[in-house]
Formats: sequence, structure tokens, C-alpha cells
Amino acid sequence: MSVLHVLDTGLGTLILAYFLLINTFYFLFNILSLAGILRYRRMVTFVRFGEIFRMPIVKPVSVIVPAFNEEQGIIDSVRSLLSLRYPVFEVIVVNDGSTDATLARLTEAFDLRLSKSVFRKSLPTLPLRGIYRSAIQPKLVVIDKVNGKKADAMNAGLNISRYPLFCAVDADSILEKDALLKVVRPFLEDPGRTIGAGGIIRLSNGCDVRGGQVVRVGIPRNWIARFQILEYLRAFLGGRMGMAMMRSTLIVSGAFGVFRKDIAMACGGYRAASITEDMDLVVRMQKLMHEQKKPYRIQFIPDPICWTEAPEKLKDLSRQRSRWHRGLVQTLVHFRGMLFNPRYGVAGLFAMPFYALFEMAGPFIECLGYALFASHVVLGRVNYPFAVTFFFVAVFYGTFVSLLAILLEELSEHRYPRPRDIFILTAAGIAENLFYRQYLAVVRAWAYVDFVRGKNEWGAMEKRGFAKAGQAP
Amino acid sequence: MLSIVVLYSFVYLFLMSFSLFLFIFVRRLIIQSRERKDRRIYADMEADLLEVLTAANGRREAFAFARRYGSSPRVLKRLLVAYREALAGRSLEPLKTIFETTIRARCLRELASPWLATRLQNVRLFVDFSRPEEAVHLVKLLHDKPVVRLAALNALTGIASRETLAHIFDLFEQDPAPNLYAYSNIFFTLGPRIEPFVRESLTRTLPVEKTGLLVEIAGRLLLRGLYPDVLRFAQHPEKELRIRAARALGRLLVPGSVKTLTALAADASWEVQAQAIRSLGSLEDWRTIPVLVKALFSPHWHVRYNAGYGLAAFGLVGILQLQEVSRQKEDRYAADMAAMVLDTVILAGGTA
Repeated sequence: MSVLHVLDTGLGTLILAYFLLINTFYFLFNILSLAGILRYRRMVTFVRFGEIFRMPIVKPVSVIVPAFNEEQGIIDSVRSLLSLRYPVFEVIVVNDGSTDATLARLTEAFDLRLSKSVFRKSLPTLPLRGIYRSAIQPKLVVIDKVNGKKADAMNAGLNISRYPLFCAVDADSILEKDALLKVVRPFLEDPGRTIGAGGIIRLSNGCDVRGGQVVRVGIPRNWIARFQILEYLRAFLGGRMGMAMMRSTLIVSGAFGVFRKDIAMACGGYRAASITEDMDLVVRMQKLMHEQKKPYRIQFIPDPICWTEAPEKLKDLSRQRSRWHRGLVQTLVHFRGMLFNPRYGVAGLFAMPFYALFEMAGPFIECLGYALFASHVVLGRVNYPFAVTFFFVAVFYGTFVSLLAILLEELSEHRYPRPRDIFILTAAGIAENLFYRQYLAVVRAWAYVDFVRGKNEWGAMEKRGFAKAGQAP
Repeated sequence: MLSIVVLYSFVYLFLMSFSLFLFIFVRRLIIQSRERKDRRIYADMEADLLEVLTAANGRREAFAFARRYGSSPRVLKRLLVAYREALAGRSLEPLKTIFETTIRARCLRELASPWLATRLQNVRLFVDFSRPEEAVHLVKLLHDKPVVRLAALNALTGIASRETLAHIFDLFEQDPAPNLYAYSNIFFTLGPRIEPFVRESLTRTLPVEKTGLLVEIAGRLLLRGLYPDVLRFAQHPEKELRIRAARALGRLLVPGSVKTLTALAADASWEVQAQAIRSLGSLEDWRTIPVLVKALFSPHWHVRYNAGYGLAAFGLVGILQLQEVSRQKEDRYAADMAAMVLDTVILAGGTA
């Protein structure tokens, strides 16, 4: 009995320490982000982002869009990309063996013609079926290839791309008109050291999209989407901004990130076997820079916005999160040599261990906490100090961190226009503790099991198209 | 004991969360009300500014405008920054007058602020509103942090005199970590008047990347007076400088450079070859056609690519050469490249 008691107390302490530490880390990231966002706002005051149009020499960008079965939103997405405000860029859509009408829709909308382009196959990819150029949009190139994964499609795009910077954009995403101008700025200000930059991803659910642009921002009616809005605010404005300020960025979202092509090519491009190719590339780029002892920076910019559609069904959400978590585990296992390795600077000593301890192992500890609490209730042996402390560090502290993320949104872009939106987001911050967080913890813990079992599926989600996103199902 | 600590923490965190929520909410209401007020002032200012800009005596009207709205510097700055985007040349004069009367003194004071962001904001206001006599304040910032330094350089380019140009080139030569991209844009903005400074800098021993940039600028600004200086670098042992020289020669379009470029097309480095072929193509000299056709059979993709587009630039004659290469069977790579260039030329023609 006493052994069980010791075990129970030990587990309880471990779980409490975990929740206390993770929320404290996120609290500190939020504080760092707060300072970063205020500074960024002051630094870009009176900056004319349009002045790049008057510059005689600009850094051209290849926007690469891998697309698999994206017939619903591909035309809106490509139109939004072609209407970006940037002096010199090309849009390369890689149709990764879609089984729906993605290519047909593109051909019809942009008058695509088969081209005889020849290119240097610097990165190995699965065979291409054809390269198409648009007769009405000279900036558009469409590659049709045999189905691989997103990484393979990105590599095909990289082979065709002509410019020194490339921007990875998801086909189900919409970039704001000046997003590229803003995200490229670090590459102009510090061209020697900047190797990557990412902007913020926001959810288009609940927004009105017309002509490939978000014309009205709103909160969706669907609570799963509402929880995700808050999650994205916490992750991008709180987590990534804070991590970037500590020079510990390990992820630049694959939905919208700009990279130096020479560095990405030197790393061998995207790793085809990777599940989360975005994180994998960023870690490899950092590894390379550390090994070559070259200074580098990966920046997070809080205002270039990429809108994307979030899943509104639990099934789709669990598939997406399972893939993300399997990808995280895969990347951390693959680069385990960097863990606690001083050779890789802050990335090795802080960022990788943080992700390993809190993001990778976190779901198990969370699930254990909930299970322990439930077992106490079932056995009628509720440990009230533990229960109250658990509630305090897991739920209350978490809600406080969510409130901080709302504050960061208010300070940065202030995109949700109605005061009512603040109430809804705060309510989401409280309500997510009732079921959503626990559900995701279980999904992520199970993803680890899937990873060990070698499950490698992508986890596609049902697309509703931008115009329909946010409407009641 | 633990329960008391937890209880206190709980109450403390609850109060903190509630205060944070109130802060966010009240702040939003205050900001919305301020934005409404600012929008109203902005609309009034805009209407009056349009009258100033179209008035017969713009200067007097500008003074009157400055007196009227000098007490709202935040909105005034926004208006001036928005309008300087749309105006150019003499029409900027009323804006400059308003700026000098209302904001300039404060800006000059804030150029010495210990806060980087404050210095940066203020130096940016000088980019379009500065006058030559302000150069002295901006030159002081040339030894500030890189981001402020570049903003000051940008502001100086708008009021470039011989002295400020000398400052800019001194800074360029001494800059231990130059942002070459920014410098190239600044030099390009300054235009042909920098020729004597470029010539002088090219005689000095500078790091390869700085010399390379100067050679590049000579080509981009078509400074044909620097042709002999550029020619010197075509035989330089540094590959990077030979590449830059080949590129500059392709832009300067001096007929005498065919010989040098033909020699560079046979350089040991394929990067130099590729650039020399590209430059030979841009010369559009009939004598270079055999060299370009030969380069289409190079083992290097970039050389073939530049040769293909170089030939296409000759028009019909080049296209006939490309057709011939595309039909031959001995070298598939040359044939594919020729076919691609022909395809692109035809597609581009169709788009036009």
C-alpha cells in the first residue's frame, strides 16, 4: 500500500511539475513575444514596404505550391498568389499526382500549355509528367508529377525554380497581398545571415473570402475552429515569436515560409521520407550552418499573414494532429545527435530538448495526469490538494496563457474587429479545457504509438473551399 | 502549508487573469474610440491638405495648415507619410514646409534618442523631408547600428552633395560588415554622379565582395568611363571578380569587349564561362554567333542556357540557329535546351 502511495505521490508531483513548467515556459515566451511585438511595431513605423518596387535590385522569389487533390480551392489560392504585391516572383504549382480535377481546373482557368522546359535536376524526385506554362499569366508554371509526398513535390518545385529565395505555400492557403513584401524584408536587411523567415498563419474559417483575398475577418460558429484560432494565436504569436527571439526557431510553417534556396539545396532539399517536411528542413538548415560555423538567423515576422482553412470535424483534426505529432517525433529521433549537443548552440541546448521534453513527451504526461485524476475519483480517494493544484496549474494557468495570446493579437494585428470577438476567444480559452485539450492529448499520445508502428499516412482533411469555410455545416 | 500557497496563488492568478481580460477589453474600447477620433481629424486634415496642394500660394497655405494641425503630430505624421508616397518633385514642397514647421525640431531631438526604434523612426521621416543642411545630423548616424546606418544612408541619398557622397563611399570602404544588397541599391539610386568615387575606390585594395560590387555598379549604371578599370578585372585571379567583370562588360556594350569576353568564355571556371556567354549574347554582335552555338554544346547547364537565350536575342538568325541545333541528334542536351528556348520565345510571343 505504501509503495502505491509513494508511486501515486511521485506521479502526482511529476505531472504537476510538468504542467507548471510548460505553462511557465509559454508564459515566458509570451512575455518575450510581447516585447518583440512592441519592438517590431516601432521598428516598422514609417517603413514603406512598397519602396522595394523602386529598388533597382530586388531579391526575386519563387513561390512553390504543392497541391494534392485541391480542386476546391486551388484557383482561389493561385489567383491570390498571382496578385501578390512583389516586384519579381514566379508561382510554381506542383500537382502531386492529384486524382481529382486539380490540373484540369488549373488548365481551364489559366490556359495552360505543355512546355518543353529543361531544368537541372539538382534534387532527386519522382518522375515529372509535364511542365505547363500559362498563356495568360507569364508568372505561372505548373508541374504535373507522379504522386510522392509533399517533400517530393517541393523538391520538384525547387528544381524548376529560378530565383534565390523560395516561398513554400500550401495550396489551401491564401496570402495577404503584401505578405511577401513583409516576410522578405529580413533577407534585405540582413542578407548575409538570414536563411529563413516565416509569417503568421491564421484561420480563414469564419472569414469571407472573395477573389482570392480575405475581405472580412470573423470568428467561426464551429467551436473546434474557435479553439484552433486560439491555439494558432498561442503557437505563433506566443510560442514562435518567443522562440525566434531566443534564436531557437525549429519550425517555420510549411504553409508559409521563405528560405534561401542555396542553403536549402546545400542540405539536399526536403527529405522525402519526412512527415513534417517543414520542421525537418529548418532543423537541417540549422545543423548545416552550425557545422559550417556560419552565423545565421531564422526570423518570425508577426504581420505577414497567411490564411488557411482549419478542420472543423474531430476526425479531420485528429488526423492532422496525429501527422504533426508523428512528424515531430520523427524529426527529433532523426536529429537526436543534436539533443543537448553544445556544438549546435541554442538549437541543441534549448530548442531540441524543449520540444523533446514538452512537445514530444508532453501528451503522455498529460494523459497520465487525467488518468490519475480519474482513478482517484473512481476509487473514491480524491486527493484534494492534488486536485486543486492540478486544476490550478493545468487549467487556470493555461487559460491565463491563452489570455496573454489574445493580448498579443490585440497588440500585433488586432484582426478580430468586434469587442464581442474578445469574449468569444476568452470563452474558447476556458471551454477548451473541458474536452478539447484532453482529446488532443490522447490523439498526440496515440500518434506516438502510430509512429512506433511505422504508420506513415498523410492524413488528408475534407476541404470545404474558402467561400464555405466558417459557415455552419 | 502547500494548500495555503496554492490557495494564494489561485486567488492571485484569478485576479491577474480577470485584470488581464479587463485590460484587453478596456484597451480595445479606448483604441477604438481613439481611432474614430483620429479618423475624423485625418479626414479634416486631408481635405485641408488637398487645398494646400492646389493653392496658388502653397507656402503660405502650408504655414497656415501647420499652425492649425501642429497639435496633432501623430495623425499629421501619418498623413505626411501617406502623401509623400503619392507626390514627387516640387509638389512635395508644401509637405516639407509643414514637416519643418511642426515635426522637424522634435525629429532632430529624437535622432539622438538612446532607443534604437525611436532613432530609426525619425531618420525614416528624413528620407523624403530632409534638406541638404540636415546632412550633418544624418552623417552622425552613419556609425550607428546597421539598421539605423542604412536608413541614414537612404536619407542621405535624397540630398546627395559631393561631401555626402564622400561620406557614403568612406563608410562603404570602412564598413566591416557591409549589407552589399543595400549598398548596391543606394549606389544605383545615386546614379552616374558616383563615377569618380567608384573609380577612386577601384584603385584601392578592398575585400573581393566590395570590389565586385563596384564593378557590378559600373556595369549597371552604364559608366562607360570606367571601361578600362573594369577590363582590368577580366584577368583577375579571383573568379568572383572575373564573373563581375564579364557581367559589367555585357552591360557596358563596348564593341571592343568582344575579344575579352570570348577569352572569358573559355575560362577554366564554368561560372565565368556562363556569364561571359550571357554577356556575349547581350552584345548582339554577329561575330559572336559561332561562339554561342559552340557554347550550346557545353557540358554545363548554365552555359547552354545562356547561349540559348543569347542566340534568341538575335531574332530570326538566332532562331534559325536554335532550330538547327534542336534538330541534330548527336547532343541531346543541346537539342533540348534549344527546343526549350524556342518554346519559351514562342509562348512569350503568344502572351504578348
